[in-house]
Order: sequence, then C-alpha cells, then structure tokens
Amino acid sequence: MRQKAAYHDRLDLFWIAFYCAVGVLAVRLVHIQILRNAYFTEVAERNRTQIIYQNAPRGRIYDRNKVELATSRPAFSLIYLPGKNEDGEMLETLAASLAEELHVEKEDTLGTLRDAQRAQTPVHFENLPMKSMLKLSELKTIFPGVDLIVEARRAYPFGASTGHLLGYMGKIDKETMRRYRDRGYRADSWIGKTGLESLFEDSLRGADGEMRMEVDAHGRLKRRLTLEQSSWSPGGDVHLAIDSRIQLAVEEGLRASPSGQGGAVVLDPRNGDVLALASVPDFDPNVFLMPAWRPERDTLKELPEFNNALSGTYAPGSTFKIITAAALLNDGKVQPQEKVFCPGRFQLGDRTFKCWEKKGHKLQDFLAGLTHSCDVYFYQMGLRAGGAAIERYERLFRIGEKTQIALPGEKGGNLFGPLARRARGKDWYEGDTVNLSIGQGELLVTPIQMAVIIAAVANRGTLWRPHFTQRVEYADGSPAYMQRPEVLGRVELNDTTWDLIQRALENVVEEGTGVAAKIPGITVAGKTGTAQNPHGEDNAWFVAYAGREGEVPSVAVSVLIQHGGHGGSAAAPVARRAIEAAFNIARAPVVPRTPNKPTGADALPRVAPQPNPELPLFPVTR
Amino acid sequence: MKARIDWMMVGALLGLIAIGSVAILSAASPLPTYSQIIQKHFLALGLGVLFFLFGLGFNYQIFQDQAKVIYALALALLVVVLLAGVQHKGAKSWLRFGPISFQPSELARVLTILVLGSFLDSRGNKPHRLSTVAGALAISAPVMLLVLAEPDFSSTLPFIPLLITMLFCAGANPIHLVAVTAFGGIAISMPLMWTLLSLRPRWVATSSLAALLFRIKDFNLHLLFTVCAIFLAAYVAWKVLGMARVFLPGPYFAAGALIVAGALCTGVLVNRQLKGYQRNRFVAFLVPEADPKGAAYNVQQAQIAIGSGGLWGKGIFAGTQSQLGFVPERHTDFIYAVIGEEMGFLGSISVVGLYLFLVSRIVHAARVSRDRYGQLVCSGFAGMYAFYMLINIGMCLGFAPVAGVQLPLVSYGGSNLAVTLFAMGIVANVYSRRYAFY
Repeated sequence: MRQKAAYHDRLDLFWIAFYCAVGVLAVRLVHIQILRNAYFTEVAERNRTQIIYQNAPRGRIYDRNKVELATSRPAFSLIYLPGKNEDGEMLETLAASLAEELHVEKEDTLGTLRDAQRAQTPVHFENLPMKSMLKLSELKTIFPGVDLIVEARRAYPFGASTGHLLGYMGKIDKETMRRYRDRGYRADSWIGKTGLESLFEDSLRGADGEMRMEVDAHGRLKRRLTLEQSSWSPGGDVHLAIDSRIQLAVEEGLRASPSGQGGAVVLDPRNGDVLALASVPDFDPNVFLMPAWRPERDTLKELPEFNNALSGTYAPGSTFKIITAAALLNDGKVQPQEKVFCPGRFQLGDRTFKCWEKKGHKLQDFLAGLTHSCDVYFYQMGLRAGGAAIERYERLFRIGEKTQIALPGEKGGNLFGPLARRARGKDWYEGDTVNLSIGQGELLVTPIQMAVIIAAVANRGTLWRPHFTQRVEYADGSPAYMQRPEVLGRVELNDTTWDLIQRALENVVEEGTGVAAKIPGITVAGKTGTAQNPHGEDNAWFVAYAGREGEVPSVAVSVLIQHGGHGGSAAAPVARRAIEAAFNIARAPVVPRTPNKPTGADALPRVAPQPNPELPLFPVTR
Repeated sequence: MKARIDWMMVGALLGLIAIGSVAILSAASPLPTYSQIIQKHFLALGLGVLFFLFGLGFNYQIFQDQAKVIYALALALLVVVLLAGVQHKGAKSWLRFGPISFQPSELARVLTILVLGSFLDSRGNKPHRLSTVAGALAISAPVMLLVLAEPDFSSTLPFIPLLITMLFCAGANPIHLVAVTAFGGIAISMPLMWTLLSLRPRWVATSSLAALLFRIKDFNLHLLFTVCAIFLAAYVAWKVLGMARVFLPGPYFAAGALIVAGALCTGVLVNRQLKGYQRNRFVAFLVPEADPKGAAYNVQQAQIAIGSGGLWGKGIFAGTQSQLGFVPERHTDFIYAVIGEEMGFLGSISVVGLYLFLVSRIVHAARVSRDRYGQLVCSGFAGMYAFYMLINIGMCLGFAPVAGVQLPLVSYGGSNLAVTLFAMGIVANVYSRRYAFY
C-alpha cells in the first residue's frame, strides 16, 4: 500500500500541473474575452467590412436654353477587393483578363493589382465601356473579390466644342489633396482641373456614396449583407449664359477657317452675357474620362490648352480703326466730310506707309474711309489728331486691361501710345502715330477685349464685364448665386459720333470689306482687320454686332483667325455663322467669295481639322 | 450503495459533446459539405456511444490478459493503413470501408495505452530501473514510427505525453525521464533553432556562437567536431570535479554526453525530414510577424474571434470571424475559436471547466481503481487528453504552435470522437469495478 500511495503522490503532481496550466488558460480567456474585448471586436469588424465609394453625380452645366453642356451618365466600374491569401498566379490571370477587356497593358494592370494586394485596399477600374460589361461580369464569378458597381460618370455631349470653356476633369493630385482632404476628397477622387469644371468645383461636386460591405476571408463581397449605406448626393447645377447653338456654330466656323487656329467670343451687348467662347485648336474633355490607363499623362503633353480667345494677344489691325475714328470725330478734330486722297501709299519723311489697296482709294471721306478701311485716310487723320488723343480713347475702351472674365489665364494685351511709351522711358515718333492709327505697332489685344469693345459700340458706350454664368444652384435647386451684369466702364461719345461710326460699320458689311457677313433681314455691322505679324501670314480679325432690323443689337462677335489672311474672307464667315445661329437662321450653303485682297495662293483655305467622329457633336438629351 | 457508473464523468462528456455538436452545426454551416459533415458527426456519435458501452461492458482486465493480441492488432491496423490507406492532406492515414472511413492512428493510441499499462504493471516492484523506460519506449516506438511513416506528425505528438504520464505514474526514475525528455527536447529544438536562425541572418553574421550552431545543421565535419567536443567537455568536467573532490559516477557524464550528442544528430535527422508547412508552423509560433499570411495569420484570426466574442458571444451562426472564413479549420482544429466567438466567455470557460472536471474524474478513477493496471491505463488517458486540451486551446489562444491537434469530444472528427468515447468507456469500466480489493 505504501507503493500505491507513492503512485498517488505522482498522480497528484500531474493533477496539480494540469490544474495550473488550465488556470493559465482561464486567465488568458478573461484577458482577451473580457478585458480586451473592445479591441478584438473592432479588429473583427474591420476584418469583415470593406468600404466602397461610389462617385456621386456631379452637378450639370446647362446653357441658357437648358441644354446640357456637361452632365453625368451612369457608368459602371469594376472593383477588386484583394483577399488576404491570394497567390500571384491568380492575380496574373485576372490582370490578363482585365487588360484584354480594358485595352490596356497587362503589366500596368498587374502592377496595380499587386499594389492593392500589398496594401489590402480595393482597386477601382472606373468608367468601363458598356460593351464589356457582360464579359467583365463573368470575371466576377471566376475571381473572388471582383465586383461591378454603378457610378456616375462625367460626360460632355458637345465634346471638343466646349472643351476650352468647360475644362476637363482629372484625378486629384497630391498637392491639391493635401488642401482638400477635409472636404471629403479621397486619393482617387476626380476633380475639375481647368475651365468651368475647376472654377465651380465646390458647387458641382456631390457627396460620394459609401457602402460598407461585408466581405469574407477571401475578400468576396457578401452581396446581401450591406451593413450600412449612405447614398450619394449629387452636386449643384450651373446655368450658363452660353448658347450652345452659337457655341457650336462658332466652333465649326473656327475649325473650318483657313488655318484652323484662332479664337472667338460672342457677347450679348445688352448685358455682357457670354453667348459663346471658343478657341481652336481644341480638345475633347471626354478623353480624360475614357477607361484607359493614366490617359492624362500622355494626352496632356500635346493638349492644346492654350485658349486663344482669352490668352492670345494680337495686333488688332484695322478693327482698331473704330477707336481711331472715335478719337478723330468726337473731339471735332476731323470733320466727317473732309476728304483725303489715297494714292495707295503715304509718305512720312523718308518712310513710305502703304495702303492695303495698292491702286489707292482715290478721294475718301470718313464714311468711305472706314467702309473701305482706307489706311491712308487714317494715317493722315491720325497724324492730325495726334497719338495722345488716340491713346486717350484707347484707354477709354480699356485696351491693356483685362476684361475680368472669371476664367484663369486671361491677358490684358498691350496699350500703345505716347504716354505708355514715355512711362517706359522711350520716345514717341510720328511714325508710331501712323502705325497706331491703323492698329499696328506694339498694340496688342485679345479677342475677348475686342468683343467687349464692339459690344460697347453696339450699345453706345457700355463696357460690360463679360460673364458666362446665369446662376448656380444648390443640389436641391435653390439658387446659390445669381449673376448680375457688371459694368467695367463707360465710353461717353457724342451721339453724332456713335451714329457715324455705326453707319460706317453697317456700310462695311453692306458694301465694304465685310460683305461676307451680310445676312438678309438682320442688320449686321462690323469691321474687318488684317493684322500684319512678324510670325507669318496675317492674322484675320472680324468684329461685328447684329440685331434684327429696327431693334437694338443683341449679338456682338469678335473673331480672330491666326494666320488666316484677310479678315473679310477668313474671319467674317465665322461671325456670320455665329449671327445666323443667334437669330435661328438656317445655314445657307457656303459660297466661296472672291477675297477682297488678292493674296495669291496663300489665301486658299487649308484643310480644316475634322471633329472626332466617334464623339457626338450634338447634345444627347436624356 | 455507491453507483457503478461515474455519472459525473458521463455528465462532463455529455456537456462537451453538446457544446461541440452545436459549434460544429454552426461552424460548418457555410461549407458546401455541410449536410455530409452533420451526418458523419452524428453517425460517429452513435458509434461512439456503442464503443463507450463496449469499453464499459466487460471486465477491463481482459485488455491486460490479451495485451499481445491488442499490440498485434494495433501494429496490423497501422501496417494495413500504410498498404491500403487513403491519402488525405498528404498523409496516408485513412482506411475506407464503403461510405465509412476511419483513422487507425486514433485507435492505435488507445491500444498503446492498454499495452503499455500491461507492460508497466508487469514491471512490478522494479519500475525505477532504466529498463522500464527503455521497455516502454521499445513498445511504443514501432507504433509511433508507423504513424510517422504515414506521415502524420501531429498524430504522433500525443504519444509523448501519454508515455511520460504513464511512466511517471508507474514510478519510473525521474532521472531517466529527464534524460529521455532532454533527448527529445534537444532533438526537436535544434531544428526549431536552425529555422529561426535562417530567418535571422544578422544573428549568424554577428555572433560566432550562432554561426557555429547554424553550421552544424547538416552531417558535416563541423558536426563531427562538435560531437567530439561534447564528449571531451564531459570528460574534462568529470576530471575537474574529481580534482575538486566532488565524486560523481563517470557513467553519468558519459550518458549526458551521449544524450546531447545523440540528440544533436537526431535533430539533424529531424531537420532533414521536416516538411515546409511544419517548419512554417514553428516559424509562425516563434516569429509571428515574419509570416503574416500563413500559420500566424490563422492563430491571429482565431484570437480575434475569441476576443471579439466577449462575455456572452455573438450568438450561434452569428460569428463573423467563423462564418466568413477568417478562422481556419473552423469545425476541426479551431473549433474552440468558434465557441469563443459565438458562445463568448461563458462558452469557452465552460469547455475549459468541463475538461478540467473530466480529467479530474479520470484521475479519480485512477485513484480508486482496484489494480495497478486500471490505474496506469487511466493515468495514460488523463495525460493524453490533458495534453490534447492544453495544446489545442493553447494554440487557439496563441500559447502553443499550430500542431494540428484536435479538441477531442468537441472538434469534428468521427474517428477521434468514437475512439475517445471508447477510451472513456474503459475509464468508466475501471471506475465501476473499483471496490474489489478494498
């Protein structure tokens, strides 16, 4: 029995050891299940939830007739939630299938997937083409973690025709992200990069939707187990003063112009509404939303982002004669009946200034001089009035100052005159006055400046600050901002001066250099300009205003065709298209006109770049 | 009049089986083979009840009398499975009879306990001799080697605690046990250390000891020199101690050196046999951050599951960690994580408590048994199931490496359940016949 007792001692030893070990387990259980329960609960929640963001529809941009210039369309996106234990082989097959459907490089896709796997973050392939939807939804059944969701995608029905005005969207960059993080932007958020998209970013942007989805250990979505969902809310709409018909007409006209380079602005001279603002060469903002990989980097390099209408500065040429005329007549320095003989050239000291008409215009009074844009008349009368007087009127019309349109990149041009010259410490010569009186020399203006000036001629003196907004709304439709007309300045001229200038401008279109813009039933008044420039072919200008007969002018146009040749043949047809669109006149077939200025072979129109046929030029109404 | 049946033990068994069945019902529900699993589980449970009654039905001393037959049966089963077994998860460990498949290694363990009990009882009053330990090792070695040959490393593991517990309770010399344990310990820890060193090249580069240890991981001259050095060191130690007038028997030093050197060589052998996934489990246990997606991930997820269960649990079928597949092997090895998540602290502590109680009843049966054989067999069972429980729950709680050991009576696994109930039947048998010599 003693021996048996010894065995019992050993059994007790075993029992005590086991008892202690179980005690350790129990303490551990208390520790993790009761004391650290909150922590583990949070980890378990994080394990099983995956937040998926849905891009909210951005606010729409309408023209003045409620035609959508920028809208949101439903698009679908493929999301991939990487699992914890996926092998490289699976990623590779997935990348291959995706790359084939998305028409991108397999290496890029694979890299993206690998990064996501490493960081355990979802990947988002946005804006996928509808036609690949079927194929891609097959992937969903083959690969765990692949799913398709519907999102809102930006669309520009007019494509390139509104590219410069609306700007484009892109992924937020790191620098901007730092500033915008508090406003709900994420690293993969879209943001307006340029144009109105950037300008109205805060109004247009909606609040993205958020889905908290339950996922299993492989990252597969449990479809019916959406834990929480906050749906998106769309952004506010922006109503523009732009008239899409005019915008389209102007764009088409510019593209069809001899050089295919230029800019045009159409204003309402009654209130400063921008009816159209166009620049060529242009770009289609839709390409940035294509489902290709990093499209921006490649496209941005050759992107014609330069907006000729705002940022391009050019010598105004003969269009400046309007201001010279005001300087001549308003102070009574020149009587309209006074005649000047034009032999085709003008001699000042040992310098010879030519008239564009080599044969000369013979005897010209004011009306004839402006109608036929006789240079010699303006040389002589300009000299009589003096450079300082012309400069005074130049300043009145705010040349050299920005029109303060609310778009970035606007230039103010260059004021040219004795005072401006003296401010730079240089001397003014008579020859400069001669140059100034026909809008040459160091004088530089932008198409939008000329639009504001011709609008002021149309309304007899009011220089409007051009604006393209009518109102901005909150998402619920209540107004967030209402645009009021703003006056930049007034040009006070005698009524007789205005009458004379306006009559002369009407004559220009009726029988002068601008007959290409003549439209039956509409009173069109305009002035051509053919500005010499040292870089090549002359820049063609045409500024005009128009109204129905007997009514106040309601459209003012300024067109510049870079290297277009003569204003009457290159720029006036564009203005004509704009005016026709504004008055809803069906387009007559374009009849090639004999150019007023014989410029030889250079005057032949070059082949204009064709608009991208794949993208709709006309709005698709929903 | 005392009861013949230990109803308290039966109660503990029923409690564990009930909790286990509910957990299996819940954990396996997202699996495609759900209905099959449930059918098999309850079939095995029914068979287990029959086995329990079989273990209880006749005098257990017949197992002692027929020890040779039982031993032959165990070996035969394992040989048959090697010849005609079915491959599953890389191990040829299943015998299939039509729709029923069976894991003989489970039964072999129980049979080994019965055989060892007979051998140790026959050692009579000389259990402290080295021959006791050697004999027990010699008896269990063929069984273990056959299981290892399947190859099923994790099924071999539980032999170690049952051997040690039975030898210890049989009165074996603790020094012998320490020697054997030291041998086994060194043989197993050397591969562990080499695995660790291969993950930490900087240690090898900066420490000459680490570099030396790392160099002897193969049969080469370095190993030969090390073995010679160990014997030399033992000899020098003996002489120095002798000069210091501390007289210890020479064979002790020789044996010590032999054990260390032998273990080293065995370790090299084991290291060469180790499979990639087994090494990964060690790595996950030693350096969890080195293996975030493999075995360590599993243990982490199991702990998250248990920890997020809280006091009351998330409810049956409602554990996100278990149902969404974050917990691996959720209805077998990691069933305890499912219990912890879905039944909370109350469920998990109940399982621990019931196990503690069950083992205490087995130990009690050993105490009151009428002969040494019954006592030895019960202590073997107590050691084995205590080890099962500690390793399995310890694994779920991050204390032990992932050893692929089930939680008997709770985990899904027909063979294990039926055989465990058979073993419990034998324990109940020992208990019910306790009064003969009192």
